[in-house]
Formats: sequence, C-alpha cells, structure tokens
Amino acid sequence: MAEQLILEAKGLDAGYGEIQVLWGVDLAVRRGEITALIGSNGAGKTTLMRALSGLIAIRGGLYRSGGDDLAGRSAAEILAHGIVHVPEGRRLFGAMSVEENLLMGAYLRTAGRAEIRQDLDRVYTTFPRLRERRNQQAATLSGGEQQMCAIGRGLMSAPQLLMIDELSLGLSPLLVEQLVDALRVLNKAGTSILLVEQDVTIALDLCHRAFVMDMGRIVREGSGEELLADPIVRDAYLGVLQE
Amino acid sequence: MQAMQILINALVLGSLYACIAIGFSLVWGVLNVINLIHGSFIVLGAYLAFGLYQSLHLSPWYAIFVAAPLFFALGYVIQRLILNRVITAPVLVTLTLTFGLDLILNNAMIYFFTADYRKLTLSPPLGSVSIAGAVVPVDRLIATATALLLTGLLYLLLRRSRIGRAIVAVRLDRDAAVLMGVHVPSIYAVAFGLGAALAGCAGVLMALIFPISPLTSSAYLGKAFVVCVLGGLGSVSGALAGGLLLALVESVGSTYLGPSHATTLSFLLLIIFLILRPQGLVGRKGFE
Repeated sequence: MAEQLILEAKGLDAGYGEIQVLWGVDLAVRRGEITALIGSNGAGKTTLMRALSGLIAIRGGLYRSGGDDLAGRSAAEILAHGIVHVPEGRRLFGAMSVEENLLMGAYLRTAGRAEIRQDLDRVYTTFPRLRERRNQQAATLSGGEQQMCAIGRGLMSAPQLLMIDELSLGLSPLLVEQLVDALRVLNKAGTSILLVEQDVTIALDLCHRAFVMDMGRIVREGSGEELLADPIVRDAYLGVLQE
Repeated sequence: MQAMQILINALVLGSLYACIAIGFSLVWGVLNVINLIHGSFIVLGAYLAFGLYQSLHLSPWYAIFVAAPLFFALGYVIQRLILNRVITAPVLVTLTLTFGLDLILNNAMIYFFTADYRKLTLSPPLGSVSIAGAVVPVDRLIATATALLLTGLLYLLLRRSRIGRAIVAVRLDRDAAVLMGVHVPSIYAVAFGLGAALAGCAGVLMALIFPISPLTSSAYLGKAFVVCVLGGLGSVSGALAGGLLLALVESVGSTYLGPSHATTLSFLLLIIFLILRPQGLVGRKGFE
C-alpha cells in the first residue's frame, strides 16, 4: 500500500516562526492519480505545499513518499526524489527567456544534453505557445503563458509528482480549460498530480480524489463526485443555496 | 586629433573601470552585499602581479591565470566561512563586516608591503602605437583588451552556463531557485568568489598602468561605486556603460580642466544621476 502512495503525510505540523499554520494534516496522493486540495483563503494550502517541497521546515508528523522518509529533507533532496512544486504566482525568472526558465527546471538533473533536449521538446509539444516564445523574456508573457512556462519548468525536472499551487488564478476560463486538458494528458502519460485550486468546480471535476482543508486541518476527503454531492462542501465552497 | 586621443583614453580607462566594477556589481546584485573589501582585493591583485614580475619575471598577462583561481578560492572561502553566517541579516550588518575585513586586509598589506608607492615597469618597455593620430602605449592596449575579454567572459558565464543561470536565478527569485534545487549558500560563495577573482584580475591590469599602494584601495572602491550608480546595478552591460561614461567624463575633464578636476566632475555626474536617473543608464533587470 505504501508503495502506491507517492505522497503520504500523517499528523503534519508546520508554520512560520511562532505561528503554527498546519495542525496534524493527513494527506495521501496515490500514484498515477490527480488529487485536489481545496479550501478557502488562509486555510493553509500554500503552507502545506511549501512544507511538502521543503521550503519550510516540518515540525512534527510523518512525511513519506513511496515508503521513503522525506521529513526534514532539503528542497533539493525532495526534488531529486521526484516531487516538484509549481508555486503560486508562477514565480518565473522574469528577466530570463522562456527556454532558460525551462532549463532551470532541469538544474539538478545529471542527464545528458540529448535527454534534456528531448524533454524540452516534450514540453514544447504539450504547450506549443512556449515553443513560439522560447526566446522571449518570461516577464513579457501573458498570464496563461506564464502558467504554462511554470508547469513546463516543473516538468523539466522529470517529476513523478507535480504539485501545482493555484492553477487558475487570474486566468480566463478558456485558458484554464486548455491547462486542465494539458494536465489530463500529462496524467494519462503517468505523472501524478497534486492540485491546489480555489475554483472548487474545476478541481473536483478534474480530480480522482480530493481533500478539503480548513483552519490548517484536513476536514473532509473523498472522490470528486462524493465531495461535489456533499451538502457541506456545496454550501461552504460552491455557494449553492440549499433548497 | 585631440578628440581622438580623448576617445581612446576614455576607452582604455573605461574598460578598466568596467572590469573593476563588474565583480562589485555582481556581489551587490546577487548577494545584496556592499562588498567594501573589493578595493583591497584589487590592490592585492596588483601586488601579486608586481611580486610575480619581480621574483619570477612573469608577465602580468600570465599573472592573470594565477590571480583568477587564487582570488576565486579566497572569495569562496570568505563567503562560505564568514559572510554566509550573516547573509540574511540587514544590509548594514554585512556592510560592517566587509568594512572590518577590509581594515584587516588593508592594514596587513601596509604592514607587509609598506605604504610606499611602487610601479611595475616592464623591461624592455613595449612602446606605443599610433591609432588614427592618437598615441596609445601597447601595455595599456593589452590591458584594455584583457579587461573587455574578462567582462565578456563573465557575461557568457552568466548567460550560457548552468552555474551562471543558477546565479541569475538566485538574484531574480531566491525561493523559486530553491524550488529548482539550487543550493543558495554555494551559489553565494561562487558569486562572491567570481567577484573576488574579477577584482584580483583587475588589480593585475591596474599594476600595468597605475602605481601600487594599499592607500589606493579606497579610490578603486569609489570608482566601483560610481560605475554601478551610473550604469545601473546588476548587469554586465550596465557596468560597461557606466565605466565608459565615467572614463569619458574624466578624460574630457582632465583635458580641459586639469587632472585634479576630473574627479570633481565624475562625482558631480554621480550626484546628477542619483537625482535624475537613480536606476542608471541600463535599468535594473536580471544580471545579464
């Protein structure tokens, strides 16, 4: 069972300075699936992402991947383990070109030039717009293109698990649909995905399983359909009026 | 004809100023450290060239190959062992620390080499050539070419190499660089080492042209400051533009107003830039 979980957190605590944000978070991402994490602003979703990618320290609890203990590992070690974090707000290197950004994604890889080239080509096939703009400065891209570049940069690390924070933030519905389609294709090709998303409808529609976070804790979990049908989730996050 | 001489002088001086400033600008831009040892590194590089020429008769062009790795190692170790401990502290703390390190290094040089001015004189001298009516000593011409070459090499390193991209990435967005697996303390050490190596090489070139004394270190540091403000912080092209502009103003100033007013003019220019164009000639972008 443990081998089927590409990411497993049990009783995870984390925070900033004196402020504890995460209180005993339990989360499991199955290999080959798309898992969504939803919740309102300030629920601790981004903090959880930062803890899982090693940007902030884990203060308590268990963090494993495929049976290996990842608690207390550095960001580089977690990345080398195949878990990559596409951060909220894209965080591209604005003054670098699109291609330089993508190459930064492969920074840790020891693979030869040919293999990196091949992966670069795969990213360009997934997002043809990036190929057109490969030599353009990342800061001059549109929001949607920036998100493609950020996801592409994540993919360049050849990850097993892609963690995306706020996929749809600030993007038009049409663009979000394109990105969602791209994620489906990536997932079919074998990449597991953990998606943090404010737009609950999109997230629950796309995912196999979902977790709901509130006040730094996981308060619900289930399949996308289950949660979509859950009256409390509908009430709190979908704004559907009860009849 | 005089205009040509001024232009050539400015080009020679300007490329040397750029070479002085790029290391300083790199450290400031990437680490947010105002490195006050930079001037003393330059002087130490000059002494290295002087010593190698006196003892082994090794020409300064070859001394560069000794200075670059030596100063890189020195800078790397200083950053790794000392500066990295306080790198996240406010800029005043790192400023004070480099100020203290500069006092130690500068006074050590005064102790060991004395404050006497020395001059590296090539024998036999290389003579001079005439370019479009302007007279240029050959050693200065070689120093100019080397300074431009070093500047170009840094540019290529930052743009084309894996480690260079990581340096730029850390400068642009430290957290995002960490997510790419970049080990920031090592990158800081490499960047500081590169800054020191450039200072050491600049010192070797300076030894060819100017008298050497520990007392000149603050003048070099001042030039680095002015060039960074004029050109704009954090880019190789900015350092080059700033260096050339400063040298042009100084050449024109010393020709028409006398050498003592060249510095007055350059600091006047500094004040004007701080008021009217604080971001410098080449605005603040990535380190490219």
